[in-house]
Amino acid sequence: MNHDDKFSDEYLNAFIDDQLTPEEREQVYARLSHDEALKQQVCRLRQVSDLVSLAYKQVPQPAPGLRTAKAGKWFGLGLAAGLALAVSAVAGWLLFPSSTPNPGSPVAQAMSPSAAVASADNVEKVLIHISDGQPLHLKNALDEVESLMRFYRKSNQQAHVEVITNGDGLNLLLADTTAYAARIERMQKEYAGLTFVACQNTIDRFKNELGVSVRLLPGVVVTDSGVAQIMRRQHQGWAYIQV
Amino acid sequence: MMLLVKRIFLFTFVALLSHGVVARVTHAESREKQKVVYHINVDDRKVLNTAMKTIQNHLGAVGADNLDLRVVLHGNGIALLQLAHSDPTFQGKVKSLKRQGVHFIVCHSTLAARKIDFKKDLYDVTEADIVPSGVAEIAHLQSQGFSYVKP
Repeated sequence: MNHDDKFSDEYLNAFIDDQLTPEEREQVYARLSHDEALKQQVCRLRQVSDLVSLAYKQVPQPAPGLRTAKAGKWFGLGLAAGLALAVSAVAGWLLFPSSTPNPGSPVAQAMSPSAAVASADNVEKVLIHISDGQPLHLKNALDEVESLMRFYRKSNQQAHVEVITNGDGLNLLLADTTAYAARIERMQKEYAGLTFVACQNTIDRFKNELGVSVRLLPGVVVTDSGVAQIMRRQHQGWAYIQV
Repeated sequence: MMLLVKRIFLFTFVALLSHGVVARVTHAESREKQKVVYHINVDDRKVLNTAMKTIQNHLGAVGADNLDLRVVLHGNGIALLQLAHSDPTFQGKVKSLKRQGVHFIVCHSTLAARKIDFKKDLYDVTEADIVPSGVAEIAHLQSQGFSYVKP
């Protein structure tokens, strides 16, 4: 730079901000010693620089109370609004359970083996109760049980079917007197999910009141009390059918 | 201004909630019918007559609109609709129950085994009333929340 040239404000600001090289700084100092105009120029620029620095150091804080209060009000209102919306949405969702067409309607069931709807764990559980010992009744009962097992097999439906006998129905399972020993044996072999059950209370009553020592067919299971077992199964979600 | 906004929010909330409540009430009325399945598998006329009286009593006690009552007929129980086909008194009783919303369901296995033509031999049965297995249907209905009654 020429000895007598004026320094620009930009150059002098750099001098003030200590951003010049040592040689450049020496130059300015040399000129300042005899250049009154330059002195004044540097002085003015230094004032501006100082004021700016001072301003940045002292950023005015918002007036306490006024802005905070406003923000709180809006925040509270927004929260209340959001909460109201959320609660309404949840209430609406809960109060509008999804409606499904009644799966048990006759139309849905007509003429279709696949129409059987399985229980939650995909196994139908059915308790068949026989308490009448008349021969025709027992025959019809076995017909119904077999028809049921065939239906489930045809519709690929897993099923547990328990035939529970008490009272005179026990006659079905008496090895010495039943007319259905062969049929029951065949049914037991053919249908894995089928179980025949005898009531111990009835067995005791046959012994005590009729003097009959009960001998059961092979594969028959004994339960303590027929009616208690019926109650237990219903509590466990089994369907109950009295044939 | 703030008060107005608050009022708007409150109104919206109450409106949404009450809409839900009203919908629930009407929804409840149409959805929560008492569900019951009657099981008939005998042909004894006395038993059949008593069964129909019992069903009528049931309708009277609960109200036909509040009841989803289905009668499953299989085995010898098919006699109920055979009698209704030929006997006017019987038919009148069945007609009356049907008018009150009672569904009579027929077992196809029974029809096939006894060679019964549902169009010719039974009173007022359509294909929609026929299920493959009456016993399976009863079990199925129970899994759907139906109570079981053997009259």
